[in-house]
This record gives sequence, C-alpha cells and structure tokens, in this order.
Amino acid sequence: MLLFRSEETVTQWCEARGIPVRPIINLSQLWYLAVTWYGNRLTVDSRRPAPDEMVEIFAGIGLEGPFWDPKADQWHSAT
Amino acid sequence: MDFDGAVKLHIYETIAQTTQPPNTHEVAQALKAPLTEVEAAFERLHKKRLLVPEPNDPSRIRMAPPFSGVVTPFRVKMRERLYYANCAWDALGIPAALHHDALVEAYDGHSGEPITLEVTGGQPVAQPCVIHFAVPAARWWEDILYT
Repeated sequence: MLLFRSEETVTQWCEARGIPVRPIINLSQLWYLAVTWYGNRLTVDSRRPAPDEMVEIFAGIGLEGPFWDPKADQWHSAT
Repeated sequence: MDFDGAVKLHIYETIAQTTQPPNTHEVAQALKAPLTEVEAAFERLHKKRLLVPEPNDPSRIRMAPPFSGVVTPFRVKMRERLYYANCAWDALGIPAALHHDALVEAYDGHSGEPITLEVTGGQPVAQPCVIHFAVPAARWWEDILYT
C-alpha cells in the first residue's frame, strides 16, 4: 500500500495503470493498524492476527466488506 | 519459549539494534543451534507470515514485517538509526513496534513529492495524506513483495 498526498494523486496513479481506485484510509486509521498489527511484534507471543481477528480489526475503524476479508473468495479470481 | 519463538525474537531484536536482519548462519551462531534447525524455523516463520526470505536465497530475509531487509522508499529514522519499511503501513509499524517516536520519509506514490510523517508522543502528527490499498486482503500474500 502506498502513501499519497491526496485522493487526487491516488486517482492519477490508478488511471495511469488502468486500475480502479480501491479503498483509501487516513493517517489515524493507518496508525491504528500499525499499532494493532505490530505493537507487540518484539515479544515472545507475538503473531500475525488470524483472519477472523483481521476482519474485526478492520471493522473497528470502519473498514468492512469483502475487500477487507482475507477469506473472501471473490478476490481470488478477480483483480 | 520454543525454538521458533527464540529465532523470531533474535531476528527482530537484531533488526531493532542494527537495522539489518540476520541470516540463518548468524542466527545459528547466536543461538548455538544447528543450521538445519534454523533453516527449518525460517520456513515455519515464513508460513506464519512473520518473515519473507529473499526469493533466490532463503538464508537471507527480505522482510520481517514491518522491517525491510533491503532499501525501500519508506525510510524510518529514530534513535540515530535508519530503518527501511515495506510499505506505508509498515512505515508506521516500525515506531509502533519499537515504541519510539520517529520520522518517516516517504514519497507520494504518483507524483514523487516527498512526504514526511512524524510520530511524536506515541501519535502521528496530522498531515495531509492518504493511504491507498490497491490489493484486497485476500490477495495480500499472493505477491507480498508487490503488496
């Protein structure tokens, strides 16, 4: 995932590649994900969140739907 | 602590201290363990998505998320050290993992304009920017080097 100055440059980046604009999040949401994913990474028990936990984490900041579901089937055959 | 846990911790602590991931030989030496056991632990940690080996050299680490083993456009400065992150998420993941304020130097993915993010007092300083997810969660690990 890439960083952009604005939604406008996201749109330009997608148009240049002929791909649709996909979900865009803000800095506060990104920080939440960073802390949730990596806050305990340097501890013995750290691990990557399981798929169901991921869905819950994303939903906690309003990111819902199949795009955010690591088990969603529809994305395995579509881009 | 089990062996995989010891290997994982050694990898992450080494990166935290030196900014560079150790290879299998260095981990085996540090833990006084047989190389074959460390190689097997690297494979298991890869399956758990806690590291990504170099595509042509499984003894070396390309990613131990949020850290990158190679130079990337996401530079994270803290404690007079320079770390490289794999993506925008991981760029904030490094100060989150190390529990330390940091300066992130990155670029607009389209225009190349420099964007500096600052984490101060355990929070990012507000900044006009957005993060775009081009790949859905179900496909992140199909090509994690792209994602």
